[in-house]
Amino acid sequence: MRVELNARNRAYQFDAAPGERLLYAGLAQGIHLPYECGTGTCGTCKARLTAGEVEDLWPEAAGRAYLKQPGEFLMCQASARTAVSLEVPTFVYGIDPGACCPAPASGALCNPRCLTHDVMAFSVDLHRPIDFDAGQFVAMEFPEVRGYRGYSMVNFERGARRLDFLVKQKPGGGASTWLFNAAREGSNVKLFAPLGSATFFPGLAKNILCIAGGSGIAGMMSILERARQERYFQQHDGHVYFGVRTMEDAFYLEELSAFRRESAERLHVTIALSDAPVPPSARERYPDLDFDHGLVHEVAARHMKGRYQNIRAYLAGPPPAVDAAIRVLLLQAKLTTDQIRYDKFS
Amino acid sequence: MSRQLACKRSDVPDAGLKECGLEDGQKVLIANSGEDYYACQATCPHQEVALCEGLYDGTVLTCHQHLWQWDIRSGAPIGLAELPLETYRTQIEGDAIYVVSPGGLDLGELFSGIADATMGRIASLARTEQIGPGGTLYRIGDPADDFFVLQSGRIEFVIGRDDRTSPAGFALRKGEMCGWAALIDGQPRRIARATCLEATSVLRINGRETLGVLEADPASGYTVMRRLASLIARYLAPSGAK
Repeated sequence: MRVELNARNRAYQFDAAPGERLLYAGLAQGIHLPYECGTGTCGTCKARLTAGEVEDLWPEAAGRAYLKQPGEFLMCQASARTAVSLEVPTFVYGIDPGACCPAPASGALCNPRCLTHDVMAFSVDLHRPIDFDAGQFVAMEFPEVRGYRGYSMVNFERGARRLDFLVKQKPGGGASTWLFNAAREGSNVKLFAPLGSATFFPGLAKNILCIAGGSGIAGMMSILERARQERYFQQHDGHVYFGVRTMEDAFYLEELSAFRRESAERLHVTIALSDAPVPPSARERYPDLDFDHGLVHEVAARHMKGRYQNIRAYLAGPPPAVDAAIRVLLLQAKLTTDQIRYDKFS
Repeated sequence: MSRQLACKRSDVPDAGLKECGLEDGQKVLIANSGEDYYACQATCPHQEVALCEGLYDGTVLTCHQHLWQWDIRSGAPIGLAELPLETYRTQIEGDAIYVVSPGGLDLGELFSGIADATMGRIASLARTEQIGPGGTLYRIGDPADDFFVLQSGRIEFVIGRDDRTSPAGFALRKGEMCGWAALIDGQPRRIARATCLEATSVLRINGRETLGVLEADPASGYTVMRRLASLIARYLAPSGAK
């Protein structure tokens, strides 16, 4: 199907196969359509249909709450039934030459393992290798679970044959329940990857601040891995704040300690425990890490006071935690919005 | 210009925000900067999110959805924002805050905030024109003497040279300008066709005469030219320029 897209700066044309999501079709053809979550929740890929017919693949999508005018729909949840004309209210450019252009991919689920009582790590062995940037995520569809969900890569390498992910068990969450409830090793999954603009490149040449709640640490691990490979923390400071409820909810502490040890002491990692004071055993067991009691954005605000020079902040986690961190960074730390990177999932 | 009651001063928290419904059914956002009250559109021009839920530090308003930011005093975009906020003048009488809807050049992205006398001189150059649906404002190759500020309606563009033309994309919005070649040296001809998609009202203003007015007030001229430069750059910017 022919798709004509009118953006605020110019018009584009691209093709979409029957049943193919319009957002994915446009992105795969190098058009940087507006999106953040790519999976039906954030509303950012809203467009208006001016001619033709689209099929809504997920009429219950939470992101539909952002649709206000007749004819509006989410490009990530719609396919073209006929040739269509769309309008998006933003400026649209081509995807940067050199950036990783997203495309459909597939692989087999492997090595699912519990890290805590409600956080699981799993990997996908890809049928074909892909390139992605540190901090990016994929949209993933599991068999028997309708629709795509977003998962950030934990690892980082070029031409990756295996991608590592985290998933938090959510009561009533279709995908996480499916992953947690039975042995899923070997299941085939569909991906659209890579997505997301909360990316880290060593050429950034700034100190970096990562504030993550719970499974939001996934993308930060990818950023830290890329930084480690490039010896980034020989030249720049890193501040990582990882928020969990209690020590029992914490994970990746060995891995974070290892990043710290390889960093010439310029990487500082603080675990913020929101629901319990810090047990003395924590510091004994993990001498390379700092621990504090409080919500992660509050702990970060306390520690970071006076240390915001030449900084780039990355945020991830449950939406209320990300919003709270944005509030601290803009209103207290007086950062500008272009110093903050995150991908919105609500 | 119409004046309407927005709310009481006591309704707006110190350095805070308040969304108000007007008699005509529109909503405005009133912002208290500590010293003054400012008024702007109540929803984000990006995704129609309520701006009263945004972050506000007394000067800069941030939409919490995608972090678009504006200077509340002028509505000018900052940082990631791609569009300005439509602003209203406020008038305080006792405890009451009134807002005055913008009109004419005042709502234009190019001229808002320049010296009143200069604005008045440019306004005196402007003629209002009504064009019906399908009417053409200018064609490729036409002399580029005048520029236009959209008051209401929608204008669409086809850009090109000779036989190779393509749709420019989205239609103009209220307050936006087109035909900027009239303000630029060495651009005597139109490079686009501008067609009205619906009944449209524009201000037509002569470019050469406007430049004459701005030469007499270089401070305002500088403001206008800076805005014009960033306006043009916006259409040329490579991807990822944000």
